Amino acid sequence: MITVLLIVHGLLAVFMLGALTHQTLSVWWPAPAGHQSFFASFRAVRAGSYANTIVILYLLTATAGAILYPSYRLGIRVVLEDLRLNAANGIFELKEHFVAVGLGVLPAYWLFWRQPLSAGYAGTRKGLTAILAVIVWWSFLVGHILNNIRGFGV
Amino acid sequence: MRRARACIVFSSTYAVLYVAAMYYNLALFTYYPAAKQFYPLVPATPQARGPAMFWYGWIATAALGALALSVLSLVVPARWAMRLWPGWSWLAPIAVFLTLIIILRGWFIRV
Repeated sequence: MITVLLIVHGLLAVFMLGALTHQTLSVWWPAPAGHQSFFASFRAVRAGSYANTIVILYLLTATAGAILYPSYRLGIRVVLEDLRLNAANGIFELKEHFVAVGLGVLPAYWLFWRQPLSAGYAGTRKGLTAILAVIVWWSFLVGHILNNIRGFGV
Repeated sequence: MRRARACIVFSSTYAVLYVAAMYYNLALFTYYPAAKQFYPLVPATPQARGPAMFWYGWIATAALGALALSVLSLVVPARWAMRLWPGWSWLAPIAVFLTLIIILRGWFIRV
């Protein structure tokens, strides 16, 4: 059951990572008109249409992570401590706190991405989107690294 | 406008309350995963076998506090509310991230 949930957690994170990366790049590095390269197409998305999905994916992924967390605490963290892998423990500590702070960012993020978008809040949208992108990328990479250290289903 | 004010206050204050709850261990409840048991607040002595988890309790503390402040923001005079800068909703979390890195630096460097 835990293994299935871990896979679902990972898949939700992948979906969210893709959506947030599209959105972040589209607001921080908008595609120039007329360009049709791969990178320009990647950025030329309707960023506002991603917001509600990102909020839902964040909540689902965080909930799955919260359910998995006790298994990590009992089965993995202890091993990391025994192996004196302090940096590995530390990056997970940062992950758990970053994700928790991200939960609080969601109301403002949702508010400023509501349609129709207010041009006066473009800077706030950029800031909030970037924060969530950093949280999600950090969490994804840390989860991947820790899974590599401990192995799967051990 | 009122909803916007409440959202900005929640997002700004939640981050600060979370790091305070984490630093001072002000969890609303504690979970013992080995025993699968919850206890209110932070027990002075271990109430069950195995390690204690406070993360859920810190989130609950911060959410409850931020919710209370959001509701409070709805009753303050409008002229005060107009001064509320929306940028706090992203600046406060960034400040909290830096604070967390400083608090947790012991995992990465010997202090």
